[in-house]
Amino acid sequence: MTAVAVLTERIVRDTLRDDLPFAILAPAGNFIIFNLALRNVIDTGGIGYPQYLLPVIIVQVTLLGALTTVDRAARDHQWELGVRLRTMPIPTLAPLIARMLYCLIRGAVALLATIAVGYAFGFRMFGGLGHLAAFTTLVLALTLALSLGADATGVGISGAAIGRTGGASQILLVPQMLLVMLSTGMAPVDSFPDWLRGFVQHQPVSQVTETLRGLAAGNVAVSSLTASLAWCIGLVVVFGLIAMRMQRRVR
Amino acid sequence: MTVNAPLRSSLVSESLVFAGQQFTHWRRNPGVPTQALLFPTFLLITYYLLVGKSVLRITGTDSLYGLVPTCAIAGAFSGALAVGLTLPYERDFGLLSSLWVLPVNRASALAGRLIAEAIRTLVGTALITAVGIGLGLDFQGGPLAVLLYLLVPVMVVLVFAMAVIAIAVRAKRLTMLIWLGLPAITAVFASSGSPPVESLPSWMWPLLRFQPMQPIVESMRTLAEGGLPWWPLLWGALWTLAGAAVVGPLAVSGYRAAAESGGGLG
Repeated sequence: MTAVAVLTERIVRDTLRDDLPFAILAPAGNFIIFNLALRNVIDTGGIGYPQYLLPVIIVQVTLLGALTTVDRAARDHQWELGVRLRTMPIPTLAPLIARMLYCLIRGAVALLATIAVGYAFGFRMFGGLGHLAAFTTLVLALTLALSLGADATGVGISGAAIGRTGGASQILLVPQMLLVMLSTGMAPVDSFPDWLRGFVQHQPVSQVTETLRGLAAGNVAVSSLTASLAWCIGLVVVFGLIAMRMQRRVR
Repeated sequence: MTVNAPLRSSLVSESLVFAGQQFTHWRRNPGVPTQALLFPTFLLITYYLLVGKSVLRITGTDSLYGLVPTCAIAGAFSGALAVGLTLPYERDFGLLSSLWVLPVNRASALAGRLIAEAIRTLVGTALITAVGIGLGLDFQGGPLAVLLYLLVPVMVVLVFAMAVIAIAVRAKRLTMLIWLGLPAITAVFASSGSPPVESLPSWMWPLLRFQPMQPIVESMRTLAEGGLPWWPLLWGALWTLAGAAVVGPLAVSGYRAAAESGGGLG
């Protein structure tokens, strides 16, 4: 077995009881609660609310998953095991790659769980296989992009007090909430106060959820798809370079 | 009488020292202020921006009067949960036991914790209400209403904190706290009026109207609107007393057992 496989297996075993169950429960719970609370309140202009809501739930659990990645990366890097791994004859990037593989596994589990719950409440994938493939690819690319950013953040703060206590992920809950709740993923732009509409319309979560909604409907604007893919690929490249650099730093 | 007097004053002053210890702890570990102040404040702002217009369109009333008390109580709860998360470590590293053998009144450690919870909740409620006023809330009650309004969350959080302590000092895994926190915070939000109860499935209505958080949030809403909510206040007080009667003894006995365990790791 290669180092990457061993390290990935270690994370999966380690998280089977605390993190992976939340990859299933968080999307299910968030979908049910937001659907229940908002379906008769928000006017989506003809689309059923489950159909409207599902993409933003996926983006939200991806962001929440990335927050647990911040803590895990900080812990792995700072604890004795992380120090030991850096002295072993394995690639420097092996721990990072293992964490990213775990994030993708987690993201796939969360995606399946969200779609399963969505189907129970009336969400449907109207597009063909191509649309489904694009939907999955976009979600996993977003997962990878955010996980790389989270990993770089976690490693970067692992020496500071805030990294050791896990406080960083709690503070990051706030920007996560702003991005998710003030987006067109939750409600059409008309539901927001006038002064806020520019932000709501153009922020990345709105962009990505709009594309995902289009892919689910089987009818997506090319410009929307390109913009979302550009966001994801750009973030993967930028965060990837930073995350790799963080691994090299020797203490 | 002469024997009791110095004892009582020592309980108060020692409890205040323990409360001060909690505040030092929270200043150094930003998890608690984040959960108790930062998170509910931003939740209020984002949730109001998200649903405010839509709820106003449906009900014709401003949802802020329900959301401000809701976020104040939810913040107090999530702060108490964040405090509870560290309790098993304090037990396992022997901190609770070290405090237990100090030559002070035995009740002061637990009393100090509750005093700290109360003060944090008072500050949090004031802060969140100030933000609410910034968003357009017009607090119409007099000085008595302000006082009651600030004390209602304090009363509730004391019971909730005792429940957290009762669970956390016995816990091996912290998932149990999530099963306490999730239903409690859901119940608070179900009382907010956003979404309106009528927009939810009808089988839930009795559940939503008769759960303990309903009279609590209703009291604060009415106080903010300038009324005096005798019935909700009475119901809220009864729920609180009943809750305290159940979790109070559990918290005390659990804390004692944890403190006498001597830790085990440290």
